[in-house]
Amino acid sequence: MNDEIFLNERVEVIAVFNDSNSPCRPVRFKRKNGREVEVSEIGLHHPTIAGRRMVHVFDVTDGGADYRLEFDSERLTWTLTLEADRV
Amino acid sequence: MREDYNTTRPLVMHIDLNSCFATVEQQARPMLRGKPIAIVNRRTEHTAIVTCSYEAKAVGVKVGMSFKEAKRLCPKLIALESDPPKYRYVYHKLMAIMSDYSPSVTMKSIDEGIIDFSQSPAAIQTRDLIDIAREIKQRLRTEIGCAMRCNIGIAPNRFLAKTAAGMNKPDGLNVITHENLREVMGKLTLLDLTGIASHNEHRLNQVGIYTPLQFIDASAEVLRRIVFKSICGDQWHQRLRGWEVDDAAYDLKTCGRQYVMESRGLNRVEVAQRMHHLAEAVGVKLRGQRKCARGVGIYVRLYGETEGSMSNGRWGRKGDYWHEKFLAPLPFYSNGAIWAIANRLLAHVPLGDIREIGIHCYHLTDGLSDQLALFGDELIREQQVTSAIDEINQRYGERTIHSADTLSTGIYVKQKIPFGSTRYL
Repeated sequence: MNDEIFLNERVEVIAVFNDSNSPCRPVRFKRKNGREVEVSEIGLHHPTIAGRRMVHVFDVTDGGADYRLEFDSERLTWTLTLEADRV
Repeated sequence: MREDYNTTRPLVMHIDLNSCFATVEQQARPMLRGKPIAIVNRRTEHTAIVTCSYEAKAVGVKVGMSFKEAKRLCPKLIALESDPPKYRYVYHKLMAIMSDYSPSVTMKSIDEGIIDFSQSPAAIQTRDLIDIAREIKQRLRTEIGCAMRCNIGIAPNRFLAKTAAGMNKPDGLNVITHENLREVMGKLTLLDLTGIASHNEHRLNQVGIYTPLQFIDASAEVLRRIVFKSICGDQWHQRLRGWEVDDAAYDLKTCGRQYVMESRGLNRVEVAQRMHHLAEAVGVKLRGQRKCARGVGIYVRLYGETEGSMSNGRWGRKGDYWHEKFLAPLPFYSNGAIWAIANRLLAHVPLGDIREIGIHCYHLTDGLSDQLALFGDELIREQQVTSAIDEINQRYGERTIHSADTLSTGIYVKQKIPFGSTRYL
């Protein structure tokens, strides 16, 4: 199997909102342990539904591992839910 | 019956995402690109591979193989559990892109669809379809992600467009017209044709048809009377010549779900809990399509053969498959009604270690039957409870309210992506 680690970690995120193809783009996030992760590529952004709440899922990488960030559009919170493929 | 080839301009475009789920995962997770990956429905070694990346296919990994077997062929194979919301998102993006070119778009499954340009506005119809195909490929990369690839086939009918889309994978673009039809078919085998599997191949072989070219040259009468023994022979005769015979929509006939047990040796109570979970899921699917059913059928597949005489119902040819169904006099659609019938049928399941279970509803009708109203309060109450539960589950998420005996089954029986049907996407 693979090396996915499932998390439920609230993170602080710096994101850019603009009017391009991807209107919201996380660029950096800070984890609970203080480590800062620079997002080098957004693999895929897709919305998903949790009941009537819209959660935006961002699969991102810093070039060393893949991460999944979830932005709850109702609560305005960012959560790190996955870390994987660490080289 | 038209004996000639269809010489009109090819206006049907078939788009097929290459190794869809694996490509989407590689798009989402850049560190997986260039690596052999397999998408599975469950995190166990014995699970079957739903799809795999081209890197895995290159070393012989195939769809349907068990993960354990695939790992022997490719020790570095990485298994990922399928992530339906991601694939649904890509499906809707693909459909949105396709809909920009014609009002007549048909999605054949979650990873492929057809654009009929004969319905397009004149400004689009006058463009070269090869340019449009290249534009769609580029839009997939821009609007979804740079790792997305697709095969596109253009032809005068759906069958030939799909055949064209199956060539030169991955990222191919092929056109079949009346001019190159024989040349293209000359390079294919009968099994390369969609709709021809080993059984039909055998039928064709019996009348001396061994290649697609011989298939094209066969007369409609031979195909109808001897090979297919039905109108299917005429349809194949027309289809192979580029005439459209597949532009038909079919009504929903059954609605069901299956589940392969997570481990061996589950007792009958545990099996019933999983069947109950499936019955509830089928109820939701049924009501989502605004249908009622009159019949419920269940099946079980066992490890090894078991004595068929020990129960009612019918056995499959191999002796490891048993099924039984029940047709009720009145239509129903609530979870409770489906489960009540399924539970009765479950009592007839033969002894043995169960490997797989399934349930389906049949004799489907639109909306609610007027007959229900005749039975007054009891049924109206059931309707109201069902619609309240559905509303709560829609608001707060799937299975917020469900039957108590399926409390422990949610971690095993998960909603997966249905191949072949786009009704539930």
